[in-house]
Amino acid sequence: MSFREKIHWVAFLSLILGFGWYFMSYPWAVANTRGGMLTSVWMLIPTTIIFLVPMVAGTVWFAIRTPKEANLKEDEREKTIHLKGTHAAYYPLVLGIWANIFALINGLSYGWSVNILMATLVSAELIRVGAQLYLYRRGY
Amino acid sequence: MAQAPFTNDIKTLRFLAGEMTQGDLGDRVGVTRQTIAAIEQGKYSPSLEVAFRIAHVFGKPLEEVFQWTAKAG
Repeated sequence: MSFREKIHWVAFLSLILGFGWYFMSYPWAVANTRGGMLTSVWMLIPTTIIFLVPMVAGTVWFAIRTPKEANLKEDEREKTIHLKGTHAAYYPLVLGIWANIFALINGLSYGWSVNILMATLVSAELIRVGAQLYLYRRGY
Repeated sequence: MAQAPFTNDIKTLRFLAGEMTQGDLGDRVGVTRQTIAAIEQGKYSPSLEVAFRIAHVFGKPLEEVFQWTAKAG
């Protein structure tokens, strides 16, 4: 497994861990209030910590173990995998934006809006990293 | 996944070149070991530049390293 693939696994699991905690712990009953929005903002601090700590620790750990690979530039196959993953993530991003427009038109408050945007971002990231992991495993 | 419409002799050529590893070839061509493995297995079609670089490492013309398969059309 290449250094970049390992880093992608770390990112994938960190995303699930950080935002999994966020969406499981969020008080959905107050989502449609101003308090719901403020709760989202406050919860982003621990979410970011839960997400970033394993990301940074994992990257440093693998970089120390395989310093040569860590310093390698992306080659053409990896660049293509990168682009394909980003392309796949475009679709959930568009769907999420439409869902948010629909929510705003129907009078849902900022609390819902923030959560829909967050879910959109997380879904897009999971699909981007997941697609890249799939392509790394498949060879291309 | 569609297999590349050509085969290659990279594995044999590596063996004949003093049992060169995929990593060594990757270093000389400027790609990762995993990319060389994917090319060898026909999972990834390299760019023309990388194909030429591989052939150049072995001192062979391109068609001795990569062969178009008849069934691919």
